[in-house]
Amino acid sequence: MVRFIRLGVGAILVGAMLCPGSGGSAQVQSDHPAFEGVWKIVTSTTTLKLPDAVPFTAKGRNEYAANKKMKARGNYDDYDITTSRCSSPGVPRLMLTPMRFKIWARLGYVTFDFEWNRAIRQIDLHATRQPDVMGDDLVPTMTGDSRGHWEGDTLVATTTNLSERTLLDDLLPHSVDMKVTERLRLTDPNTLENRITIDDPAYYTKPWDAVITYKRQPDAIFPEDICLDRIQAHQPAFPTS
Amino acid sequence: MRTDFASSVRLGRLALVGIAACSLATISAAAQETPALPKGPPGGPPGAGGPPPGFPMVKPLTEAQKLVASLPPPQLGVAGPPANLAPDAPQPSPDARDFQGGWNHDTPLIFRMQYDKYGEPAPYNMAGAKVLQRRVLALNQGKPFLNASGICRPPGIQWQHDLNMKFRIFQNKNYVEFVFEEYHGRWYIQLDPNVAPPPTDKQYMGYSLGHWEGNTLVVETANMKQGVYLDVDGTPLSRNGKLITRIRKIDDGQSRPFLEMETTIVDPTYYTQPWSVVRRFGWNPGSFREYNCEEQIGDPAGGAEAGLVPEPQD
Repeated sequence: MVRFIRLGVGAILVGAMLCPGSGGSAQVQSDHPAFEGVWKIVTSTTTLKLPDAVPFTAKGRNEYAANKKMKARGNYDDYDITTSRCSSPGVPRLMLTPMRFKIWARLGYVTFDFEWNRAIRQIDLHATRQPDVMGDDLVPTMTGDSRGHWEGDTLVATTTNLSERTLLDDLLPHSVDMKVTERLRLTDPNTLENRITIDDPAYYTKPWDAVITYKRQPDAIFPEDICLDRIQAHQPAFPTS
Repeated sequence: MRTDFASSVRLGRLALVGIAACSLATISAAAQETPALPKGPPGGPPGAGGPPPGFPMVKPLTEAQKLVASLPPPQLGVAGPPANLAPDAPQPSPDARDFQGGWNHDTPLIFRMQYDKYGEPAPYNMAGAKVLQRRVLALNQGKPFLNASGICRPPGIQWQHDLNMKFRIFQNKNYVEFVFEEYHGRWYIQLDPNVAPPPTDKQYMGYSLGHWEGNTLVVETANMKQGVYLDVDGTPLSRNGKLITRIRKIDDGQSRPFLEMETTIVDPTYYTQPWSVVRRFGWNPGSFREYNCEEQIGDPAGGAEAGLVPEPQD
Protein backbone atom coordinates (compact mmCIF):
# COMPACT_ATOMS: atom_id res chain seq x y z
CA MET A 1 0.00 0.00 0.00
CA VAL A 2 2.82 2.35 0.80
CA ARG A 3 4.26 1.63 -2.62
CA PHE A 4 0.90 2.50 -4.09
CA ILE A 5 0.79 5.69 -2.09
CA ARG A 6 4.34 6.55 -3.09
CA LEU A 7 3.43 6.12 -6.73
CA GLY A 8 0.29 8.14 -6.16
CA VAL A 9 2.19 10.88 -4.42
CA GLY A 10 4.71 10.96 -7.23
CA ALA A 11 1.99 11.23 -9.79
CA ILE A 12 0.09 13.86 -7.92
CA LEU A 13 3.19 15.98 -7.66
CA VAL A 14 2.43 16.96 -11.22
CA GLY A 15 -0.04 19.32 -9.65
CA ALA A 16 2.29 20.68 -7.07
CA MET A 17 3.46 24.00 -8.44
CA LEU A 18 1.35 27.05 -8.81
CA CYS A 19 1.67 30.46 -10.26
CA PRO A 20 -0.87 32.90 -8.90
CA GLY A 21 -2.41 35.07 -11.55
CA SER A 22 -3.37 38.66 -11.24
CA GLY A 23 -6.75 40.03 -10.42
CA GLY A 24 -9.31 38.98 -7.84
CA SER A 25 -9.75 40.70 -4.53
CA ALA A 26 -9.05 40.03 -0.90
CA GLN A 27 -12.75 39.75 -0.18
CA VAL A 28 -15.28 37.96 -2.29
CA GLN A 29 -18.74 39.41 -2.67
CA SER A 30 -20.31 35.98 -2.34
CA ASP A 31 -19.03 35.48 1.21
CA HIS A 32 -21.91 35.22 3.63
CA PRO A 33 -20.83 35.26 7.26
CA ALA A 34 -24.35 34.82 8.66
CA PHE A 35 -24.23 31.14 7.65
CA GLU A 36 -20.96 30.55 9.40
CA GLY A 37 -20.86 28.65 12.64
CA VAL A 38 -21.43 25.20 14.04
CA TRP A 39 -24.67 23.41 13.25
CA LYS A 40 -26.37 20.15 14.16
CA ILE A 41 -29.38 18.39 12.75
CA VAL A 42 -32.45 19.00 14.93
CA THR A 43 -33.92 15.53 14.64
CA SER A 44 -31.47 12.74 14.12
CA THR A 45 -32.64 10.49 11.32
CA THR A 46 -31.31 8.02 8.82
CA THR A 47 -34.19 8.67 6.43
CA LEU A 48 -34.28 11.54 3.97
CA LYS A 49 -37.94 10.88 3.22
CA LEU A 50 -40.34 8.06 4.02
CA PRO A 51 -40.59 5.67 1.08
CA ASP A 52 -44.37 6.01 0.84
CA ALA A 53 -43.87 9.67 -0.04
CA VAL A 54 -41.23 9.04 -2.67
CA PRO A 55 -42.31 8.77 -6.35
CA PHE A 56 -40.31 5.70 -7.33
CA THR A 57 -40.00 4.47 -10.87
CA ALA A 58 -40.18 0.69 -11.17
CA LYS A 59 -36.39 0.57 -11.26
CA GLY A 60 -36.15 2.76 -8.20
CA ARG A 61 -38.69 0.70 -6.25
CA ASN A 62 -36.97 -2.56 -7.11
CA GLU A 63 -33.57 -1.30 -6.04
CA TYR A 64 -35.00 0.15 -2.84
CA ALA A 65 -36.62 -3.21 -2.05
CA ALA A 66 -33.36 -5.01 -2.75
CA ASN A 67 -31.52 -2.65 -0.41
CA LYS A 68 -34.06 -3.36 2.33
CA LYS A 69 -33.44 -7.07 2.00
CA MET A 70 -29.69 -6.67 2.14
CA LYS A 71 -30.02 -4.45 5.19
CA ALA A 72 -32.16 -7.07 6.91
CA ARG A 73 -29.47 -9.66 6.21
CA GLY A 74 -26.71 -7.32 7.36
CA ASN A 75 -25.01 -7.40 3.96
CA TYR A 76 -24.10 -3.75 4.14
CA ASP A 77 -21.09 -3.89 1.89
CA ASP A 78 -23.32 -5.05 -0.98
CA TYR A 79 -25.27 -1.79 -1.08
CA ASP A 80 -24.05 0.73 1.54
CA ILE A 81 -20.28 1.18 1.72
CA THR A 82 -20.69 4.11 4.08
CA THR A 83 -22.01 1.79 6.75
CA SER A 84 -19.58 -1.02 5.99
CA ARG A 85 -16.40 0.94 5.10
CA CYS A 86 -16.89 4.55 6.23
CA SER A 87 -16.80 5.66 2.61
CA SER A 88 -18.05 9.21 2.22
CA PRO A 89 -21.87 9.35 2.46
CA GLY A 90 -21.79 11.91 -0.32
CA VAL A 91 -24.43 14.46 -1.21
CA PRO A 92 -27.10 14.68 0.14
CA ARG A 93 -26.59 11.99 2.82
CA LEU A 94 -23.77 13.93 4.49
CA MET A 95 -26.40 16.46 5.47
CA LEU A 96 -28.07 13.78 7.62
CA THR A 97 -25.02 12.95 9.73
CA PRO A 98 -25.93 12.98 13.43
CA MET A 99 -22.84 14.90 14.51
CA ARG A 100 -22.07 18.59 14.19
CA PHE A 101 -20.75 20.38 11.15
CA LYS A 102 -19.12 23.73 10.65
CA ILE A 103 -19.80 26.15 7.81
CA TRP A 104 -17.09 28.45 6.56
CA ALA A 105 -18.36 30.87 3.90
CA ARG A 106 -15.15 32.55 2.83
CA LEU A 107 -13.19 33.42 -0.28
CA GLY A 108 -15.79 32.20 -2.70
CA TYR A 109 -16.48 28.79 -1.22
CA VAL A 110 -18.99 27.49 1.27
CA THR A 111 -17.12 24.74 3.04
CA PHE A 112 -19.00 22.14 5.09
CA ASP A 113 -16.57 20.87 7.67
CA PHE A 114 -18.16 17.77 9.23
CA GLU A 115 -17.32 16.37 12.62
CA TRP A 116 -18.21 12.87 11.38
CA ASN A 117 -15.02 11.29 10.10
CA ARG A 118 -13.63 14.77 9.29
CA ALA A 119 -15.68 14.72 6.09
CA ILE A 120 -15.67 17.73 3.81
CA ARG A 121 -17.73 19.18 0.99
CA GLN A 122 -17.40 22.47 -0.80
CA ILE A 123 -19.82 24.60 -2.77
CA ASP A 124 -18.03 26.74 -5.31
CA LEU A 125 -19.53 30.20 -5.67
CA HIS A 126 -17.10 31.54 -8.23
CA ALA A 127 -18.42 32.65 -11.58
CA THR A 128 -15.72 30.54 -13.18
CA ARG A 129 -14.27 27.39 -11.75
CA GLN A 130 -10.67 27.70 -10.65
CA PRO A 131 -8.60 25.59 -13.03
CA ASP A 132 -6.95 22.49 -11.62
CA VAL A 133 -3.68 21.38 -13.17
CA MET A 134 -4.81 17.81 -12.55
CA GLY A 135 -7.73 18.40 -14.90
CA ASP A 136 -11.43 18.16 -14.27
CA ASP A 137 -12.97 15.20 -12.51
CA LEU A 138 -14.04 12.70 -15.13
CA VAL A 139 -15.18 10.07 -12.66
CA PRO A 140 -18.24 10.88 -10.57
CA THR A 141 -17.46 11.34 -6.91
CA MET A 142 -19.35 10.94 -3.66
CA THR A 143 -19.72 14.68 -3.14
CA GLY A 144 -19.91 15.52 -6.83
CA ASP A 145 -19.51 18.97 -8.27
CA SER A 146 -21.39 21.61 -6.27
CA ARG A 147 -21.88 25.08 -7.69
CA GLY A 148 -23.82 27.74 -5.84
CA HIS A 149 -25.12 31.27 -5.89
CA TRP A 150 -27.07 33.52 -3.61
CA GLU A 151 -30.71 34.38 -4.27
CA GLY A 152 -31.23 37.06 -1.66
CA ASP A 153 -30.42 35.38 1.64
CA THR A 154 -30.84 31.87 0.24
CA LEU A 155 -27.89 29.85 -0.93
CA VAL A 156 -28.90 27.79 -3.94
CA ALA A 157 -26.51 24.93 -4.66
CA THR A 158 -26.72 22.45 -7.49
CA THR A 159 -24.73 19.24 -7.31
CA THR A 160 -24.11 16.86 -10.20
CA ASN A 161 -21.52 14.26 -11.18
CA LEU A 162 -22.48 12.13 -8.17
CA SER A 163 -21.35 8.54 -7.90
CA GLU A 164 -24.08 5.93 -7.82
CA ARG A 165 -22.04 4.16 -5.12
CA THR A 166 -23.71 6.39 -2.55
CA LEU A 167 -27.29 6.36 -1.28
CA LEU A 168 -29.57 9.30 -0.58
CA ASP A 169 -29.98 8.01 2.96
CA ASP A 170 -29.58 4.52 4.40
CA LEU A 171 -31.73 2.91 1.67
CA LEU A 172 -32.80 5.21 -1.17
CA PRO A 173 -30.86 4.63 -4.39
CA HIS A 174 -29.99 7.05 -7.15
CA SER A 175 -28.37 7.12 -10.56
CA VAL A 176 -25.20 8.85 -11.68
CA ASP A 177 -27.35 11.37 -13.55
CA MET A 178 -29.03 12.69 -10.43
CA LYS A 179 -29.16 16.42 -9.81
CA VAL A 180 -29.45 17.62 -6.22
CA THR A 181 -30.60 21.16 -5.61
CA GLU A 182 -30.30 22.58 -2.13
CA ARG A 183 -31.83 25.82 -0.95
CA LEU A 184 -30.26 26.80 2.35
CA ARG A 185 -31.58 29.73 4.36
CA LEU A 186 -31.71 30.98 7.92
CA THR A 187 -35.25 30.93 9.24
CA ASP A 188 -33.90 32.72 12.30
CA PRO A 189 -30.33 33.50 13.33
CA ASN A 190 -29.96 30.11 15.00
CA THR A 191 -31.93 27.89 12.63
CA LEU A 192 -30.72 26.74 9.24
CA GLU A 193 -33.11 25.12 6.80
CA ASN A 194 -32.02 22.99 3.88
CA ARG A 195 -34.66 22.21 1.29
CA ILE A 196 -33.28 19.41 -0.84
CA THR A 197 -34.73 18.57 -4.25
CA ILE A 198 -33.90 15.23 -5.84
CA ASP A 199 -34.18 15.12 -9.61
CA ASP A 200 -33.36 11.67 -10.96
CA PRO A 201 -35.74 10.42 -13.67
CA ALA A 202 -34.20 6.95 -13.74
CA TYR A 203 -35.29 6.26 -10.17
CA TYR A 204 -38.01 8.81 -9.45
CA THR A 205 -40.91 9.79 -11.68
CA LYS A 206 -40.70 13.46 -10.72
CA PRO A 207 -38.50 15.73 -8.62
CA TRP A 208 -39.24 15.55 -4.91
CA ASP A 209 -38.27 17.55 -1.84
CA ALA A 210 -37.13 16.93 1.69
CA VAL A 211 -36.48 19.55 4.34
CA ILE A 212 -33.82 19.22 7.02
CA THR A 213 -33.37 21.69 9.85
CA TYR A 214 -30.28 22.41 11.89
CA LYS A 215 -29.75 24.36 15.10
CA ARG A 216 -26.76 26.55 15.78
CA GLN A 217 -24.28 25.16 18.31
CA PRO A 218 -21.49 26.82 20.28
CA ASP A 219 -18.28 27.23 18.32
CA ALA A 220 -15.96 24.31 18.96
CA ILE A 221 -12.81 22.52 18.04
CA PHE A 222 -14.11 19.14 17.02
CA PRO A 223 -12.43 16.11 18.56
CA GLU A 224 -10.77 13.88 15.99
CA ASP A 225 -13.38 11.42 14.72
CA ILE A 226 -12.11 8.26 13.02
CA CYS A 227 -14.90 6.15 11.55
CA LEU A 228 -12.56 3.28 10.61
CA ASP A 229 -11.49 2.98 14.23
CA ARG A 230 -15.14 2.50 15.14
CA ILE A 231 -15.58 -0.16 12.48
CA GLN A 232 -12.43 -1.90 13.70
CA ALA A 233 -13.91 -1.86 17.22
CA HIS A 234 -17.14 -3.39 15.83
CA GLN A 235 -19.09 -0.20 16.44
CA PRO A 236 -21.46 1.43 13.94
CA ALA A 237 -20.08 3.87 11.40
CA PHE A 238 -22.43 6.53 12.71
CA PRO A 239 -22.40 6.93 16.49
CA THR A 240 -25.81 6.36 17.98
CA SER A 241 -25.39 8.74 20.89
CA MET B 1 13.89 33.32 2.51
CA ARG B 2 14.72 30.04 4.14
CA THR B 3 13.93 27.00 2.11
CA ASP B 4 14.72 23.33 2.32
CA PHE B 5 15.46 22.05 -1.12
CA ALA B 6 17.20 18.95 0.08
CA SER B 7 19.01 18.18 -3.11
CA SER B 8 20.34 21.68 -3.65
CA VAL B 9 21.18 22.02 0.01
CA ARG B 10 22.97 18.71 -0.13
CA LEU B 11 24.94 19.86 -3.16
CA GLY B 12 25.73 23.06 -1.33
CA ARG B 13 26.87 21.05 1.63
CA LEU B 14 29.06 18.87 -0.55
CA ALA B 15 30.52 22.04 -2.00
CA LEU B 16 31.23 23.28 1.51
CA VAL B 17 32.85 19.97 2.34
CA GLY B 18 34.97 20.34 -0.79
CA ILE B 19 35.97 23.88 0.13
CA ALA B 20 36.77 22.71 3.63
CA ALA B 21 38.89 19.88 2.33
CA CYS B 22 40.84 22.29 0.09
CA SER B 23 41.29 24.69 2.98
CA LEU B 24 42.46 21.95 5.29
CA ALA B 25 44.93 20.76 2.67
CA THR B 26 46.25 24.30 2.31
CA ILE B 27 46.54 24.76 6.06
CA SER B 28 48.15 21.35 6.45
CA ALA B 29 50.77 22.20 3.81
CA ALA B 30 51.41 25.59 5.40
CA ALA B 31 51.69 23.99 8.82
CA GLN B 32 54.52 21.80 7.60
CA GLU B 33 56.49 24.88 6.53
CA THR B 34 56.00 27.00 9.63
CA PRO B 35 56.55 26.47 13.34
CA ALA B 36 53.78 24.67 15.18
CA LEU B 37 51.04 26.99 16.35
CA PRO B 38 50.78 27.44 20.08
CA LYS B 39 48.06 25.48 21.79
CA GLY B 40 45.00 27.44 22.64
CA PRO B 41 41.73 28.45 21.18
CA PRO B 42 41.34 28.07 17.43
CA GLY B 43 41.97 30.93 15.08
CA GLY B 44 39.77 33.83 14.23
CA PRO B 45 39.50 37.28 15.70
CA PRO B 46 41.13 37.56 19.12
CA GLY B 47 38.76 36.34 21.78
CA ALA B 48 36.15 35.16 19.29
CA GLY B 49 37.01 31.46 19.36
CA GLY B 50 35.88 29.04 16.69
CA PRO B 51 37.20 28.76 13.17
CA PRO B 52 38.17 31.76 11.06
CA PRO B 53 35.33 33.63 9.39
CA GLY B 54 34.11 31.80 6.32
CA PHE B 55 35.75 28.58 7.37
CA PRO B 56 33.03 25.94 7.25
CA MET B 57 32.39 23.64 10.18
CA VAL B 58 32.40 19.99 9.19
CA LYS B 59 31.40 17.66 11.95
CA PRO B 60 32.28 14.02 11.63
CA LEU B 61 29.27 11.75 11.32
CA THR B 62 28.26 9.79 14.38
CA GLU B 63 27.85 6.04 14.10
CA ALA B 64 24.08 6.56 13.93
CA GLN B 65 24.43 9.12 11.16
CA LYS B 66 26.77 6.80 9.28
CA LEU B 67 24.11 4.11 9.46
CA VAL B 68 21.49 6.52 8.07
CA ALA B 69 23.89 7.67 5.34
CA SER B 70 24.48 4.06 4.30
CA LEU B 71 20.81 3.44 3.49
CA PRO B 72 19.55 3.25 -0.09
CA PRO B 73 18.76 6.78 -1.24
CA PRO B 74 15.17 8.02 -1.12
CA GLN B 75 12.97 8.62 -4.09
CA LEU B 76 13.32 12.16 -5.41
CA GLY B 77 10.29 14.38 -5.45
CA VAL B 78 9.53 16.43 -8.52
CA ALA B 79 7.74 19.69 -9.04
CA GLY B 80 4.87 19.91 -11.45
CA PRO B 81 3.76 22.51 -13.94
CA PRO B 82 2.46 25.84 -12.70
CA ALA B 83 -1.25 26.55 -12.70
CA ASN B 84 -2.90 29.74 -13.77
CA LEU B 85 -5.66 31.02 -11.58
CA ALA B 86 -8.97 32.23 -12.93
CA PRO B 87 -9.40 36.01 -13.22
CA ASP B 88 -11.78 36.09 -10.27
CA ALA B 89 -9.54 33.99 -8.04
CA PRO B 90 -9.42 35.38 -4.51
CA GLN B 91 -6.13 36.70 -3.21
CA PRO B 92 -4.59 36.33 0.25
CA SER B 93 -5.33 38.93 2.84
CA PRO B 94 -2.68 41.66 3.19
CA ASP B 95 -2.86 41.13 6.96
CA ALA B 96 0.32 39.29 7.97
CA ARG B 97 -1.57 37.46 10.73
CA ASP B 98 -4.36 36.33 8.45
CA PHE B 99 -3.32 33.03 6.85
CA GLN B 100 -6.76 32.20 5.52
CA GLY B 101 -7.27 30.76 2.09
CA GLY B 102 -5.91 27.90 0.02
CA TRP B 103 -2.27 26.80 -0.07
CA ASN B 104 -0.07 23.88 -0.98
CA HIS B 105 3.53 22.86 -0.51
CA ASP B 106 5.02 24.03 -3.79
CA THR B 107 8.54 22.64 -3.74
CA PRO B 108 9.39 19.00 -4.41
CA LEU B 109 8.27 16.52 -1.79
CA ILE B 110 11.01 15.31 0.51
CA PHE B 111 10.49 11.55 0.74
CA ARG B 112 13.03 11.21 3.53
CA MET B 113 14.16 14.15 5.64
CA GLN B 114 17.84 13.31 5.90
CA TYR B 115 19.10 16.82 6.46
CA ASP B 116 18.15 19.79 8.56
CA LYS B 117 17.45 23.23 7.19
CA TYR B 118 21.16 24.00 6.99
CA GLY B 119 21.93 20.82 5.06
CA GLU B 120 23.47 19.10 8.07
CA PRO B 121 22.66 15.44 8.64
CA ALA B 122 19.71 14.86 10.93
CA PRO B 123 21.00 14.22 14.47
CA TYR B 124 19.87 10.62 14.80
CA ASN B 125 20.76 8.59 17.82
CA MET B 126 21.28 4.88 17.26
CA ALA B 127 17.69 3.99 18.24
CA GLY B 128 16.32 6.41 15.66
CA ALA B 129 18.76 5.29 12.99
CA LYS B 130 17.75 1.66 13.50
CA VAL B 131 14.06 2.51 13.21
CA LEU B 132 14.68 4.34 9.95
CA GLN B 133 16.91 1.53 8.67
CA ARG B 134 14.21 -1.02 9.45
CA ARG B 135 11.56 0.98 7.63
CA VAL B 136 13.64 1.78 4.56
CA LEU B 137 14.77 -1.81 4.15
CA ALA B 138 11.23 -3.12 4.59
CA LEU B 139 10.00 -0.67 2.00
CA ASN B 140 12.71 -1.61 -0.47
CA GLN B 141 11.95 -5.28 0.06
CA GLY B 142 8.32 -4.68 -0.86
CA LYS B 143 7.09 -5.38 2.67
CA PRO B 144 6.32 -1.92 4.03
CA PHE B 145 5.16 -1.57 7.60
CA LEU B 146 1.76 -0.52 8.77
CA ASN B 147 1.60 3.22 9.13
CA ALA B 148 -1.22 5.67 9.53
CA SER B 149 -1.20 6.88 5.95
CA GLY B 150 -1.36 3.36 4.53
CA ILE B 151 -4.51 2.52 6.45
CA CYS B 152 -6.33 5.81 5.94
CA ARG B 153 -5.71 7.28 9.36
CA PRO B 154 -4.46 10.84 10.03
CA PRO B 155 -0.72 10.73 9.27
CA GLY B 156 0.38 13.58 11.52
CA ILE B 157 0.84 17.23 10.78
CA GLN B 158 4.25 17.10 9.12
CA TRP B 159 3.43 14.46 6.50
CA GLN B 160 0.01 16.01 6.06
CA HIS B 161 1.23 19.45 5.06
CA ASP B 162 4.38 18.22 3.30
CA LEU B 163 2.27 16.45 0.69
CA ASN B 164 1.89 18.75 -2.26
CA MET B 165 -1.87 18.68 -1.91
CA LYS B 166 -4.13 21.58 -1.21
CA PHE B 167 -5.25 22.72 2.19
CA ARG B 168 -7.31 25.61 3.41
CA ILE B 169 -6.81 27.65 6.52
CA PHE B 170 -9.66 29.16 8.51
CA GLN B 171 -9.14 31.37 11.51
CA ASN B 172 -11.05 32.98 14.31
CA LYS B 173 -9.92 34.48 17.57
CA ASN B 174 -9.82 31.14 19.35
CA TYR B 175 -8.19 28.82 16.87
CA VAL B 176 -6.61 28.31 13.48
CA GLU B 177 -7.92 25.35 11.53
CA PHE B 178 -6.15 23.65 8.66
CA VAL B 179 -8.48 21.59 6.47
CA PHE B 180 -6.53 19.27 4.20
CA GLU B 181 -7.65 17.74 0.94
CA GLU B 182 -5.98 14.42 1.78
CA TYR B 183 -6.89 11.99 4.57
CA HIS B 184 -9.73 14.31 5.64
CA GLY B 185 -6.95 15.95 7.58
CA ARG B 186 -7.65 18.55 10.24
CA TRP B 187 -5.08 20.46 12.19
CA TYR B 188 -6.55 22.56 14.94
CA ILE B 189 -4.24 25.07 16.55
CA GLN B 190 -5.79 26.31 19.73
CA LEU B 191 -4.83 29.88 20.57
CA ASP B 192 -6.36 30.07 24.01
CA PRO B 193 -6.14 26.91 26.13
CA ASN B 194 -8.80 28.31 28.43
CA VAL B 195 -11.46 28.21 25.74
CA ALA B 196 -11.45 24.43 25.44
CA PRO B 197 -9.41 21.87 27.35
CA PRO B 198 -7.23 19.35 25.55
CA PRO B 199 -9.20 16.33 24.32
CA THR B 200 -9.57 13.56 26.85
CA ASP B 201 -8.41 10.96 24.35
CA LYS B 202 -5.12 11.25 22.54
CA GLN B 203 -5.47 12.03 18.84
CA TYR B 204 -3.48 10.91 15.81
CA MET B 205 -2.72 14.56 15.02
CA GLY B 206 -1.88 15.33 18.63
CA TYR B 207 -2.82 18.49 20.47
CA SER B 208 -1.56 21.82 19.18
CA LEU B 209 -1.31 25.03 21.12
CA GLY B 210 -0.22 28.22 19.39
CA HIS B 211 0.71 31.80 20.20
CA TRP B 212 1.87 34.79 18.21
CA GLU B 213 5.42 36.06 18.31
CA GLY B 214 5.13 39.19 16.20
CA ASN B 215 3.58 37.99 12.96
CA THR B 216 4.82 34.44 13.40
CA LEU B 217 2.45 31.81 14.74
CA VAL B 218 4.41 29.48 16.98
CA VAL B 219 2.73 26.12 17.50
CA GLU B 220 3.71 23.28 19.78
CA THR B 221 2.20 19.90 18.93
CA ALA B 222 2.49 16.92 21.25
CA ASN B 223 0.40 14.28 23.00
CA MET B 224 -0.02 12.13 19.91
CA LYS B 225 -1.91 8.86 20.03
CA GLN B 226 1.00 7.01 18.47
CA GLY B 227 4.39 7.63 16.93
CA VAL B 228 4.20 8.95 13.39
CA TYR B 229 6.09 8.81 10.14
CA LEU B 230 7.35 12.32 9.46
CA ASP B 231 7.57 11.48 5.77
CA VAL B 232 6.91 8.73 3.26
CA ASP B 233 10.02 6.71 4.10
CA GLY B 234 9.34 6.76 7.82
CA THR B 235 11.60 9.33 9.44
CA PRO B 236 10.46 8.65 12.97
CA LEU B 237 8.77 10.74 15.61
CA SER B 238 7.95 8.87 18.79
CA ARG B 239 4.66 9.30 20.57
CA ASN B 240 6.56 11.26 23.23
CA GLY B 241 8.09 13.63 20.71
CA LYS B 242 6.84 17.05 19.87
CA LEU B 243 6.91 19.40 16.92
CA ILE B 244 7.35 23.13 17.14
CA THR B 245 6.12 24.85 14.01
CA ARG B 246 6.77 28.49 13.24
CA ILE B 247 4.39 29.75 10.57
CA ARG B 248 4.57 33.11 8.87
CA LYS B 249 3.31 34.71 5.70
CA ILE B 250 5.93 36.33 3.54
CA ASP B 251 5.47 38.65 0.61
CA ASP B 252 8.06 37.96 -2.04
CA GLY B 253 7.81 41.54 -3.26
CA GLN B 254 5.88 40.59 -6.38
CA SER B 255 2.46 40.30 -4.76
CA ARG B 256 2.87 36.56 -4.53
CA PRO B 257 2.89 35.86 -0.82
CA PHE B 258 3.70 32.44 0.48
CA LEU B 259 3.61 30.67 3.79
CA GLU B 260 6.75 29.47 5.44
CA MET B 261 6.66 26.73 8.03
CA GLU B 262 9.74 25.90 9.99
CA THR B 263 9.33 22.71 11.99
CA THR B 264 11.60 21.82 14.87
CA ILE B 265 11.60 18.15 15.79
CA VAL B 266 12.13 17.56 19.48
CA ASP B 267 12.36 13.88 20.28
CA PRO B 268 15.11 12.54 22.57
CA THR B 269 13.86 9.02 21.89
CA TYR B 270 15.29 9.13 18.37
CA TYR B 271 17.49 12.23 18.06
CA THR B 272 20.42 13.63 20.02
CA GLN B 273 19.15 17.20 19.76
CA PRO B 274 16.29 19.20 18.24
CA TRP B 275 16.56 19.82 14.51
CA SER B 276 14.59 21.84 12.03
CA VAL B 277 13.31 21.71 8.48
CA VAL B 278 11.61 24.44 6.45
CA ARG B 279 8.88 24.25 3.86
CA ARG B 280 7.29 26.78 1.53
CA PHE B 281 3.60 26.91 0.58
CA GLY B 282 2.17 28.82 -2.34
CA TRP B 283 -1.28 30.32 -2.79
CA ASN B 284 -3.74 27.86 -4.27
CA PRO B 285 -7.37 28.82 -3.68
CA GLY B 286 -8.91 26.15 -5.93
CA SER B 287 -11.52 23.66 -4.80
CA PHE B 288 -10.55 20.30 -3.33
CA ARG B 289 -10.58 17.07 -5.22
CA GLU B 290 -12.34 14.29 -3.36
CA TYR B 291 -10.18 11.99 -1.28
CA ASN B 292 -12.07 8.91 -0.14
CA CYS B 293 -9.47 6.40 0.98
CA GLU B 294 -12.02 4.52 3.13
CA GLU B 295 -13.60 3.12 0.00
CA GLN B 296 -10.38 1.22 -0.73
CA ILE B 297 -9.11 0.52 2.76
CA GLY B 298 -12.49 -0.63 4.00
CA ASP B 299 -12.93 -3.10 1.14
CA PRO B 300 -13.30 -6.53 2.78
CA ALA B 301 -11.37 -8.02 -0.13
CA GLY B 302 -8.30 -6.03 0.86
CA GLY B 303 -8.20 -6.51 4.60
CA ALA B 304 -8.04 -3.86 7.28
CA GLU B 305 -4.23 -3.73 7.13
CA ALA B 306 -4.09 -3.23 3.37
CA GLY B 307 -1.35 -5.81 2.97
CA LEU B 308 1.03 -3.91 5.21
CA VAL B 309 3.23 -5.70 7.73
CA PRO B 310 3.03 -4.87 11.45
CA GLU B 311 6.22 -3.12 12.47
CA PRO B 312 8.33 -4.79 15.18
CA GLN B 313 8.26 -2.86 18.43
CA ASP B 314 11.48 -1.59 19.95
